Amino acid sequence: MMKSKYRGRISLTAAALLAMAWTCFAANRPPQKQADPAVLTAMQQELDRSFTTLSKADPPAYFISYTVSDRQYADVSGSNGALLSSTDDRGRWLETQTRVGSYQLDDTHKLPNQQPSWTSPGTSASLDDDIPVLRREIWRETDEQYRAAVQALIKVRTSQQVQVQTAEGAAADFSHETPQTYLGPRVEISVDRKPWEERVRRYTAEFSKSPAVLNSIATFTALATNQYQVNTEGTKLAFGQIHYRLELFVQSKAPDGMDIERYANFDWLDPKDAPDEKTVFASIHKLIEETEALDKAPLVDPYAGPALLTGRAAAVYFHEVFGHRAEGFRQKDINEGQTFTSKIGQQIFPDFISIKDDPTEKSLGGQMLLGYYPYDDEGVPAQDVHLVDNGVLKTFLMGRSPLINIPHSNGHGRRQLGYAPVARQGNLIVTSTNTMTDAQLRAKLIELIKQQDKPFGLLIDDIAGGFTFTGRGNPQAFQVQPLVVYKVFADGRPDELVRGVDIVGTPLVSLTKIVATGDKEEIFNGYCGAESGSVPVSAVAPAMLISEMEVQKKETSTDRPPILPPPAHDPDAKGQQ
Amino acid sequence: MKISALVLLVAAFAMPVSPAFGAENDARGPVGTVPDAVAAALAAQTTAVQNDSDQTLHAMHDEMERARTRLVLPDADKPFFIQYRLLDLDVRSVTASFGALLSSSVARERVMSVDVRVGDYHLDSSNFLSEDGFQGFLGSTGEVGIDRDYNSLRQDLWLATDQAYKAAVTQMSLKQAFLRSLTKPPEIDDFSESSPVIKIQPHIEPDWTSRNWDDEARAASVALKDYPQLYGTRVTYYFIYATTYLMTSEGTTMRTSTSLASIEAALDTEADDGLPLHNFYAVYTAKPGELPDAATVSKALTQAATDLLVFRAGPLASDYTGPVLFDAPAAASVLAQVLEPSLSGARPPLSATQQYDSFMERVGGRNEWSGRIGTRVLPPTVTLVDDPTATDFQGRPLLGAYDIDDEGVKSQKVTLVENGMLKKMLMSRRPGPDFQISNGHARSAGLSDPRPLSSNLFFTSSAALSPDDLRQKFLAACKDDGQQWCIEVKRMDNPALAALRQQDFGDFMGELGGDIESGARMPLSLYRVYVSDGHEEPVREGVIEGLTIRSLRNILGIGNDSTVYTFMQNPTDGLAGTALGAFGSAQGGIPSTVVAPSLLFDEIEIRGFHGEPRRLPLVPAPPLK
Repeated sequence: MMKSKYRGRISLTAAALLAMAWTCFAANRPPQKQADPAVLTAMQQELDRSFTTLSKADPPAYFISYTVSDRQYADVSGSNGALLSSTDDRGRWLETQTRVGSYQLDDTHKLPNQQPSWTSPGTSASLDDDIPVLRREIWRETDEQYRAAVQALIKVRTSQQVQVQTAEGAAADFSHETPQTYLGPRVEISVDRKPWEERVRRYTAEFSKSPAVLNSIATFTALATNQYQVNTEGTKLAFGQIHYRLELFVQSKAPDGMDIERYANFDWLDPKDAPDEKTVFASIHKLIEETEALDKAPLVDPYAGPALLTGRAAAVYFHEVFGHRAEGFRQKDINEGQTFTSKIGQQIFPDFISIKDDPTEKSLGGQMLLGYYPYDDEGVPAQDVHLVDNGVLKTFLMGRSPLINIPHSNGHGRRQLGYAPVARQGNLIVTSTNTMTDAQLRAKLIELIKQQDKPFGLLIDDIAGGFTFTGRGNPQAFQVQPLVVYKVFADGRPDELVRGVDIVGTPLVSLTKIVATGDKEEIFNGYCGAESGSVPVSAVAPAMLISEMEVQKKETSTDRPPILPPPAHDPDAKGQQ
Repeated sequence: MKISALVLLVAAFAMPVSPAFGAENDARGPVGTVPDAVAAALAAQTTAVQNDSDQTLHAMHDEMERARTRLVLPDADKPFFIQYRLLDLDVRSVTASFGALLSSSVARERVMSVDVRVGDYHLDSSNFLSEDGFQGFLGSTGEVGIDRDYNSLRQDLWLATDQAYKAAVTQMSLKQAFLRSLTKPPEIDDFSESSPVIKIQPHIEPDWTSRNWDDEARAASVALKDYPQLYGTRVTYYFIYATTYLMTSEGTTMRTSTSLASIEAALDTEADDGLPLHNFYAVYTAKPGELPDAATVSKALTQAATDLLVFRAGPLASDYTGPVLFDAPAAASVLAQVLEPSLSGARPPLSATQQYDSFMERVGGRNEWSGRIGTRVLPPTVTLVDDPTATDFQGRPLLGAYDIDDEGVKSQKVTLVENGMLKKMLMSRRPGPDFQISNGHARSAGLSDPRPLSSNLFFTSSAALSPDDLRQKFLAACKDDGQQWCIEVKRMDNPALAALRQQDFGDFMGELGGDIESGARMPLSLYRVYVSDGHEEPVREGVIEGLTIRSLRNILGIGNDSTVYTFMQNPTDGLAGTALGAFGSAQGGIPSTVVAPSLLFDEIEIRGFHGEPRRLPLVPAPPLK
């Protein structure tokens, strides 16, 4: 089958809440009394009409919500020195939720060993502000969702009668939340694609100068989303977010056939903050340098010993191995590992480590945080959630699917367009009270190597997760794979880049073996894929020194490097231009 | 290079190229040395077309030469055949509903596909399906830069050729192992030889600026606001300009340009008993400017809405067996569904698993005519011709026409059936049990494997009746059969056009799936015609049963009212050439026509509705104005 060779791309149909920018207006000016946007009027009219009837139907709908995402985007992509695509477009996507039953037990109740019942991913809605046409689309979706919900509820009730219920399964299916009203100003972008077309050509042409780079892609995207939400509890929201992104991606192959991939991204909110050419070219040269070095790097041997993770690597590591396990809905599903389900109030990390997820932060130290949003996709305001205080687990990330002891959402119900929201991370921020300078950390690493009598330690500089990209046809959403790893020697030899490292054992255990951390926070912005699709997130952490981590050789591809040299680097080729 | 699944569904178009493009270099016949011929062609390109900075063929030529002479793995065969195909697409799409715009987009894309074969014409690495295979880091198919530049395309071709060659070497060894496991391996060649073709046409720049399509889509669809009983409507304008490049190591070098414009509309509703029903409208032309204006489309949509509401009020079909009259457009659609699977003379792929065969059975893809050359397959008065060289029928353009097929073979008129006797079959360069040589019918959607498919299919009879005579014959047959009324089918359904939503399409396929091989066919408009006074009554929900290719051997009456039925063959790989392949839309479909008259059958079975309808929406539809 055909495969995409591109990994880090934002799917445009996918991009849901993108980081930030419901502008400063809200803070500086009193909200102006103005008429609702037409789309919101249509939503409210149809909501009132539907609920009047469906709340009295059998079975009754007890909750209906509508979300319209009005997205305007531009996308410019280049590959190997040429333009790959350049488009802009606008679209409106309508999602409806119709819940039947009750807050305690409804059609969404998760049944053991069964896929969730079908729900419509939504439909496109009129771009023109034609209220009757918008209402007709909403009416039709509501009807479809109500029918599907009725079917699902019958299944749930039948299952309740015949199957044993778990303790967490007795938690309510939907939480009561306070209605929210906020009508922010509409956001818009105006993008001249021409200069970006030239840029992506230049960027990828630069990559082509290296014979090691088999393929390169540079993609610029700009996205403005205006999200409208109404529900039968009285919530009525209109808010917008803008996000610009540049991604660089290169592929290579080591002589033994191992795939080498390097990736970098830049995110910004204001056109004036776009990275300048110098910054981008520096990043390109770094990626080329790493690619060429990785091609030649030796394979690592199985090893267990001390390891130092840089801040970015540690951030991804925490996101993957802790963050996903702290998502509330997993605690209800008996098919989940439920590592922490019964651990609230217990020490799970060294006492100098605290972790919060704070989607209310737009930036940190001048750098954008991609996991910012004002309201989650269930209409609940974003909240700063302290997950771990001084090593003790305090709570979970919650959407509107409650747990026995956590009856409310904490504003983390998120989704990609077309998916049902579940609890997800926003900005996961790890802090420490046991910090050291970089030099001290390195000295400590060497000390540990000597103490444990190891031939070397590991320095992990970059980690791939489902975080930034999911592999082609082989999602690595919960895999943790170091991409850039150095051997650090105790005897003063220079660090040696190695290749093909897989972290083994229980990754979580390694987090309990944190000895000390760095004194600078590093930020990783990316897209995280899970049950409710791909959502923008940030992870922030200082460098981490871990007393023991176990690694082994990763499986390698059998597909050898290309037989012929690259056409532009072939001394025997004719017909070059 | 990258892939988007969507792009791969966008088809290659093969349409008549107007002589106005002129300046073509059509050199057929054996060529001396390949590089000479290509050099000559490239020289012709530059002299014939001014200001053409397109480097595509240069890049293809240089990379192919390198691969042809130097690409080899230790202990493996060199490639014996290399083919580069590339599609350069400009697409414009506008959708409106009840006068409001839903989407409006412009896209430009280029996709390439590289085929490398090892072995020889008798036994090569192609034409074999297995579960295992080469797993490369990149496919041999993908999206490439849109600049028509030299360097980036060479880089992409280099990697794709490398991957395709490694895949071919792997495939060849798997195939040889499989052949050794058979008692009697097939003796049919894998690939037939063909004279190289050189044809380079000037580029056509897309032109959709002459009219405001957003406004036309709004204006055409706004009249439907007068029909609040309709649940949903979609009117889609879709235009595509495609430049196709083809280069083979045998010397074929082509650059051809084509275009297609379409308006496709769907309307749906539910009857008072909760059963869904729909109607659709479709019009296809070669160029956007030739499409009907908004007023004309609006009128047609209004008619479609009126017709739908008449059916909405009609009774349910009951079970029926007896004479059925298919009006010409319905007959043409039935012929496309029933005949297509049996027209191909190419052998099916060797398959290490049974999955391929069972899939083809399920989608109605079994070839019933293979091995029946010289026997009677249709009524003795009937002749069946497929003619891609015909560009019009009685002044109506035939969009299935093309000069050169997707394997670079010149198109030929093929008389498939003469006086009811099977004479020939449609051939690509893949030989079959009855014929070996291509007759220029290899067609593909996008960059999928070309297969023998129909282009403009003509069904004619030497004993055709006038419409009046045919109707008299129909009513007489009804009377003889002791029926109060008989069934007339005016149009057949096409879910690819009629389904407003994905789940509707799924429902339709679910309903048909499994029964299609036994001849289940979906009518769109079914009427009872009363014997007493000839009046018509529309009925809903009837399905035709058991209408297979064998039903066509005996036809009670054939009209002289042949009309052109234009349709898009489904681009989904695997459905091409099957009964379901007749259901496509402009988005990626292969333009085709059937020219057929009304057909009267002595005995056809109709199954009425037997299920439980779902209840109507609890909330009535909101006002449309």
